[in-house]
Amino acid sequence: MKNYLIMGLLAIGLLSPTSSKAQTLPTGKSIADKTYAKDEGISVRRKLTMELKDKRGKIRIRETTSIRKYFGEEKRMAIYYLTPKSVKGTAFLTFDYPDASLDDDQWLYMPALRKTRRISAANRGDYFLGTDLTYEEIKLETRISRDDYTYKTIGTERIDGQQCYVLEGTPINDKIAKELGYSKVKLWVDASIWMLRKADSWDVAGNHLKTTAIKEIKKVQGIWTYHLIAVKNHKTAHETLFRISDIDYQTSLNDDAFTKEALVNGL
Amino acid sequence: MKNQQNKATKFFNKVTSHYKTILAFSLLFMVGVALFIPTMTKDTSYDAFLPKDDPILVFRNQTKETFGLKDPMVIAIVNENGIFNKKSLELVHELSERLKTVPGIDPDQITSLATENNIVGTYDGLAVEPFYEIDDLTDEKAKEVAAAIDDFDLYKGNLVSYDRTTTLIVAEMLDSYDKKQHEVYKSLMALLDEYTARTEQFYLAGEGAVSGYLIKYIDEDAMKTNPFAALVISIILIFAYRRVRGVVLPNIMVLAAVGIALGAMAAFGVDFFVITNGLPVVLIAIAVADGIHILGEYYEIAAKHPAYSQKELVVNTMVQMWRPITITSITTIAGFLAIAASSYMPPMTYFGIFGALGVGVALVYALFMIPSAMMFLKPQMSRAYKPNQEIDWFGKIMERTGKFVLKNPRTIVVVAVLIIGFGINGASKLIINEDRIKNFQSEEPIVLADALINSKTDGTSYLDVLVETPESEDLFAPENLRKIEALQNYAETLPHVKGSTSIVDFIKKMNQSLNENKKEAYSIPDDKDLIAQYFLLYSASGDPTDFDNYVDYDYRLANIRLKMDTSEYLHEKPVVDQTNAYIDAHFNTSTIKATTTGKVTVDAYWINRLGYNHFLGAGLALLVVLIFAAFSFRSVWAGILTIIPVSISVLFIYTVMGLLDIWLAIGTSMFAAIAIGIGVDFAVHTVDRLKYLLNEKALPIKQAYQEFYKSAGRALLFNFLALALGFSVLMTSSVPPLSQFGFLVAVAVSVSFIGSLTLLPALIYLIRPKFLNITK
Repeated sequence: MKNYLIMGLLAIGLLSPTSSKAQTLPTGKSIADKTYAKDEGISVRRKLTMELKDKRGKIRIRETTSIRKYFGEEKRMAIYYLTPKSVKGTAFLTFDYPDASLDDDQWLYMPALRKTRRISAANRGDYFLGTDLTYEEIKLETRISRDDYTYKTIGTERIDGQQCYVLEGTPINDKIAKELGYSKVKLWVDASIWMLRKADSWDVAGNHLKTTAIKEIKKVQGIWTYHLIAVKNHKTAHETLFRISDIDYQTSLNDDAFTKEALVNGL
Repeated sequence: MKNQQNKATKFFNKVTSHYKTILAFSLLFMVGVALFIPTMTKDTSYDAFLPKDDPILVFRNQTKETFGLKDPMVIAIVNENGIFNKKSLELVHELSERLKTVPGIDPDQITSLATENNIVGTYDGLAVEPFYEIDDLTDEKAKEVAAAIDDFDLYKGNLVSYDRTTTLIVAEMLDSYDKKQHEVYKSLMALLDEYTARTEQFYLAGEGAVSGYLIKYIDEDAMKTNPFAALVISIILIFAYRRVRGVVLPNIMVLAAVGIALGAMAAFGVDFFVITNGLPVVLIAIAVADGIHILGEYYEIAAKHPAYSQKELVVNTMVQMWRPITITSITTIAGFLAIAASSYMPPMTYFGIFGALGVGVALVYALFMIPSAMMFLKPQMSRAYKPNQEIDWFGKIMERTGKFVLKNPRTIVVVAVLIIGFGINGASKLIINEDRIKNFQSEEPIVLADALINSKTDGTSYLDVLVETPESEDLFAPENLRKIEALQNYAETLPHVKGSTSIVDFIKKMNQSLNENKKEAYSIPDDKDLIAQYFLLYSASGDPTDFDNYVDYDYRLANIRLKMDTSEYLHEKPVVDQTNAYIDAHFNTSTIKATTTGKVTVDAYWINRLGYNHFLGAGLALLVVLIFAAFSFRSVWAGILTIIPVSISVLFIYTVMGLLDIWLAIGTSMFAAIAIGIGVDFAVHTVDRLKYLLNEKALPIKQAYQEFYKSAGRALLFNFLALALGFSVLMTSSVPPLSQFGFLVAVAVSVSFIGSLTLLPALIYLIRPKFLNITK
């Protein structure tokens, strides 16, 4: 409670940001850079289960196998659906380019059509495959954007027992705000392993939109890895749980696995 | 009889001895209960006409909940030169954005060209994207939007009119504004008022707007009709007694009856419905009658016995009057309770219960408060009643009526028989119908908006069909989708069904988009898995909640929405019946089930009961009045005679309704029971007085008639004028059902009055029933 009060006072500028404590807090920019520097492994193969829940509590479960590989700063990811049966074999491929002005490329292979379909470039703020995370958030995972926000580090707080820096970010301009769908974000970044642990966001009208919690962070093959992301949309009451398991950073993934053609054959 | 009179004398001696306490308590109680009135909430929704636990309503609400359907505010933007230009589309965008900030509007449930997504096929895929982005909107782009809508059947006639001059913004309200639709309506009107300088015209309608408008409308109406009714009644009282107390005392009774009835409604948490608006006026007219009879008797005794003290005058008056006013009040209560007992619809049930309560209160106040209040005053005479037995102008009219009856009893009976004949014919041709928009006068903005939207688009009256399948994802099965499609195709052939939407429309559109936009690909694919994969593909660029209104989250339930351009029962009922027949023939197997619901179905269901409720209520009222009169006068014959005038009055009204094309609707369906309960009073007073004059005083029949007409007849004339004029005040109501109700009751009361003072004495004269002991 005390923390909230201090944060609240800080937020409205009642406590001087030049107080001794604030001076010791790192800037948002340096925190963002640190999250980018965090080791994510070149490639990873994992089981990803998406559990989607609507406001009436009805649940859709989508089990997938997902592979991801960095090509320099470019990130490629493929998701192969295992269940439900009706979409088994459906595969999604995305190329995320580091340059935000370049539209990402996406394809979906539909086994019933035996064809791969290109998906029009999604806006960064569009929802990813019916979940509550946006394409931008899927791309960042536990990083925080270096370019989109003006940050203010407003304090520290413990999340899941770990010390986190608390940042408030506002999009640098209205265009970015519209693109992302947010007018404000509040981020909790782990102060020692530099992973995002929690995020709150507000829509462009200023309504509290979402709370995202990144949990069960454990070392896998020497790399700090999350095993669960829980997102709740406060406006639609829709929820998503991303469960990650069977994580393997060491399987060598051939570059060819990230092509339209590879989608057809599955993993 | 003597014994009874002694008891009554004792009783009223007691009342007049404790007059201060009684008066203080009466006033305090009245004020205390009336203080609840400001807490009253209004419910003008159509759902209010069914009990909350009615299975049809419960099912409909579940469906609404499942698919997130609400009663929307619908804004129509009309540009006679077409809406597909930069400026008009900018306006659609601006309004859609501004609506999000209007209190009571759900910012996530605004549907317009600016918020909806188009599904388009690209050279190697599918894109789900807004019809236009405000930043790159040009006149050229606006033309592309026009083409996109032309290509998207779902939105044609739905978001945009077929002639391209009109587009809609549909805004749903938050549940928390359930009984505050009028506030949202007002905010929206204020918002639209800022755009009056534009070339576009704006119209606001839709289910939510109608509810909101109605709340405001009945408020204004009540402010007008209630004071007017009180004024009319006061003028009648001035004519009757030409004395201040003769005006003030009955008015206090009126205040008590209305204040306590409405206060009790509020205290019990009963909502104020549209028809409740008629209740105060009805009570004003009824409550004043007791006061008229008591004061009439008082001035008559005062004229005959100038030496009486005030206490003697009051006690003697009450001893004479307690019986007839109790009987008439109870018969009126019976009329109201007959409505309560026969009606399935809560607004009418409450109208009956609280109307009965109001009349009961008027009776109690007549028996206690009036004598107590009179004790504060000095004995007084009315210039209307002179000691030398001279009668005034009103008395003379009644005296002449008496002479006419004695001369022409047979003619009167023949006329009555003719009226009965016409009435039975009229009753058989009654039209049961209801249309919510008919709650407003035809030139009201909401009526114009409703008519425009219904003529330009598919309409604002919805018949929903809930489709259920047993297993998750069963709705991907092509055979199920084809059934839905066939039902839509069939329904669209029915009159007044202008369009329909379901998940099938989206599937067909996706299939077409993924097949090079070929016309023939606008169809349901044969492969269940492919359909599942379409949805996954859609989710790659669409919003997760896009199909919420059409299909549930595990693809087991679907909603088909049929749109009708009319909310008239007579048009809705056959569509519901034929849709149900179709469903019986083609659905309801072990693999797929369908059920009609939505506003149209609910309407068809409850309005259907109106006719039955009406005749049941009228029959019940007649029966209760018959039993009660027979019991009070200790003669079955007396009971039968008593109900003859009211029966004729109701039959007469059926003829009037037929001639004037008045529907038996919510408001009008209550007329019969009320008209019976009130109208029978005249007959009760007539029989009571004739019995007294003929049986107890043993006067020869001609002399008895003469006495009857000039004294009781005169009071009845004022009683009649108060009722008829009071109900006529309802005719000035701007709510057509209430004004029709007022008109019908006023006419019925007139017929009852005439019947009670002509036909009834004529019949007695001809039949000479035993209970009257007519000797000469």
